Amino acid sequence: MDFSGQVVVADLEAGVGTLTRLGDAGVDKVLIIVEPTPKSVEVGSRAAAIVADKSLGEVVVVASRVQSDDDLAMIRKAFPDHQVVPVPDDPAIVAADRDGQAPLDTAPDAPAVQALTALAGDLLATA
Amino acid sequence: MRVAFVGKGGAGKSAISGTFARLLARRGHPVLAIDSDPLPGMAYSLGLPHDDAPLPDEAIEDRPDDEEGPRYRLRAGLSPVEAVERYAATAPDGVRFLQFGKVRTDPRALFRSQFAFRQIIRELPVDRWDLVGDLPGGTRQPFTGWGGYADTFLIVVEPMAKSLLSARRLARLASSGDRPVRVVAVANKVTEAVDAEHISRRTGLEVVAAVPLDPVFAAAERAGKAPLDAAPDSAGVQAVSSLVDRLEKEHPRMKVTP
Ligand SMILES: Nc1ncnc2c1ncn2[C@@H]1O[C@H](COP(=O)(O)OP(=O)(O)OP(=O)(O)O)[C@@H](O)[C@H]1O
Ligand SMILES: [Mg+2]
Repeated sequence: MDFSGQVVVADLEAGVGTLTRLGDAGVDKVLIIVEPTPKSVEVGSRAAAIVADKSLGEVVVVASRVQSDDDLAMIRKAFPDHQVVPVPDDPAIVAADRDGQAPLDTAPDAPAVQALTALAGDLLATA
Repeated sequence: MRVAFVGKGGAGKSAISGTFARLLARRGHPVLAIDSDPLPGMAYSLGLPHDDAPLPDEAIEDRPDDEEGPRYRLRAGLSPVEAVERYAATAPDGVRFLQFGKVRTDPRALFRSQFAFRQIIRELPVDRWDLVGDLPGGTRQPFTGWGGYADTFLIVVEPMAKSLLSARRLARLASSGDRPVRVVAVANKVTEAVDAEHISRRTGLEVVAAVPLDPVFAAAERAGKAPLDAAPDSAGVQAVSSLVDRLEKEHPRMKVTP
């Protein structure tokens, strides 16, 4: 398919299964979403290794559900060579999920949504 | 008792199954915890310091070309029971821990261990251990052989639209197999009294436990600790303890064969 002039955003299955099976088509950016927990950092690191191995695209680490500077520091430490973008832990996201609504519709000004809006702007400017 | 926890990604399968396994062991059951999720999870919630515990190469051999069957198998003379006794990790409270093997950049690195894992689960005698399983998130794997050992599927459901949808799919898949299984729901991250009732109505499943949204669970996760060690008296652990009580009544303790 020809997607030139369009933006394609793919939400992959949890974990790295899909990544290991992807061909080498490549993308502009691979966003690895990581929470400040050992489990999540471990999966994220494996994902980053696979992306590098297969030269799939440039990795941006999204540090999600960040509650404190320590949380962010833990993730930055695990990904010293990557851009790390924090998205705060935000009850508005959970509330939207409970209601089956898009956070962008129900809480466009919530801190997490703002962080994601800024990230989208950055990606459009650099990709 | 042979139970398997299933549910959408992030629903709480690992946190609950690991806690469940240890509490069951504390009541005197011989417990084998089975982690078939290639992503990290159950080891942490059991309180094991390492996540990765594949079966070692020495336990496994290639199938000779002139014999039928899977490519790799337990080495000759090593029974599934012996394999567990010798190679399964030992978690706190005496829980034995058997793992499918964690994702590697090269998936072939784990083929041998994974064949042996499947063989052990298939051939394990029913009266030796109570089995408590943590299955991968989503609806694809649990019923294509991965959860074949379970007589009871516990679907972990959050009171959220996506989780309910996923639970309904899982319930349908679980009941459509060729063997009779019991399928019930565990409501997790419950914040309102009506949540469990809501889950039962929307999934058509009996809700056998309601685990509250408990900040200490999330804190334990951040610290890489088992909820049972980080917060033994928390409301979340107590709810899992009630679940153990309930299932224990339905599946009385088996005799431990020495
Ligand atoms: N009752 C609860 N209260 C608060 N937090 C919880 C509760 N249960 C689970 N959690 C948190 O939710 C997150 C997901 O839990 P867990 O890893 O057990 O889910 P899972 O279903 O095994 O996920 P996966 O599909 O990724 O394996 C973890 O951070 C965990 O600490
Ligand atoms: Mg898990």
